[in-house]
Amino acid sequence: MHVPDGFLSPQTWIPAWGLAIGAWAWAARDLRRHLDEATVPRLAMLTALAYGLGLVMVPLPGGSSGHVLGVALLTLLFGLKPAFLAYSGVLLLQALLFGAGGITTLGINALALGLAGGVVALLLFRLLRPIHEGTAVALAAWGSVMTGALLLALVLGAQPLLASQADGSPLFFPFGWSITLPALLIPHLFIGLGEAALTLLVWRHARQRGWRLPSP
Amino acid sequence: MKRRSPRLLLAAYALALVALGFVHHPGLLAGLLGLALLLTGRERWALLKKSLAAILIFNLSVSLGYLLLQAWQGRSSGTYLLIMNLRVLLMVFLGFWLVRRVNLLQALAPWPTATLILALTLGQIETCRRLLADFRLAFMSRHPEPAGLRARVRHGASQVITVLDKSLAASTEASQALRSRGAFDA
Repeated sequence: MHVPDGFLSPQTWIPAWGLAIGAWAWAARDLRRHLDEATVPRLAMLTALAYGLGLVMVPLPGGSSGHVLGVALLTLLFGLKPAFLAYSGVLLLQALLFGAGGITTLGINALALGLAGGVVALLLFRLLRPIHEGTAVALAAWGSVMTGALLLALVLGAQPLLASQADGSPLFFPFGWSITLPALLIPHLFIGLGEAALTLLVWRHARQRGWRLPSP
Repeated sequence: MKRRSPRLLLAAYALALVALGFVHHPGLLAGLLGLALLLTGRERWALLKKSLAAILIFNLSVSLGYLLLQAWQGRSSGTYLLIMNLRVLLMVFLGFWLVRRVNLLQALAPWPTATLILALTLGQIETCRRLLADFRLAFMSRHPEPAGLRARVRHGASQVITVLDKSLAASTEASQALRSRGAFDA
């Protein structure tokens, strides 16, 4: 789902990088104080885990599939800041090693998928947990996927307004919101359902195994 | 080609990415791509092939969508498609070129903790990839006919659980190894 290089105008990705640098500094602040033999491997493994989750396919009805985002799972299991840093690290490695996503778009992708997705997952979980924990986990996962898709659809759809030639032809991403919103949100309704089912199964397993989970 | 400082190459790459956002002439973009290919040396075609493969699906979808929209609106101009595809291809090509030229671990050498995190991450990523590839092959061998939705959800969940288990175990192992070697002793 992440946006590749070349589709966002500098008016979009340069401020997004600025915001993302602020967000990374905020997320790393506590971590820097406690960089030791426990936190360093934990961050590395979380990053690898976030990468590994992206390789797992979310099954969809009709035989098709999408990729697991895993942001909600990482956030609920390990906390917002480590999950955001780990997910940003994965986006960077994917862009450099596999040309998936991009360097210019790293800020937007990290903010939309890693940070906003994680925040929404956490809020939904905290709000709904007193009512029913399983529903809270499933909706948190679904909500994080939809939030990322919505933000990226808004950013992509704004490109024709932000940067176009004098004759009106686009310079970067060519489609407006009337196309980007349904094109991203409709498939992610189903990807979100797959991710919710998967996250719930893993959450239950984590409880059964007695993993010591921080209270998100 | 003479080896340049990794940080110099990194800065040149970042500058090139920013500059490319302001180039909107297909001829100039094609010229820059040609120049990049010329300067890359013998590995140019391998890198170009890799770059094309990386952008194929997304760029093809956007290009076809744009062509359909243009046809529907009764307009026709290929300039945008040329600009967009050349820019994306050049950016991805430069990224792969950078990774081929710069050893990321070497570039991070002045920051030992960052080097350590990257080394551990890359090692663990490789383990993850192999593990999931094995899982996929095993699932396919157990299901000669296409598997149902329920089986695929359970398969996905079991992959995630295994990767999680592995990661937690590897984190503990690495932590103990670092402690025993006094990696963070003052």
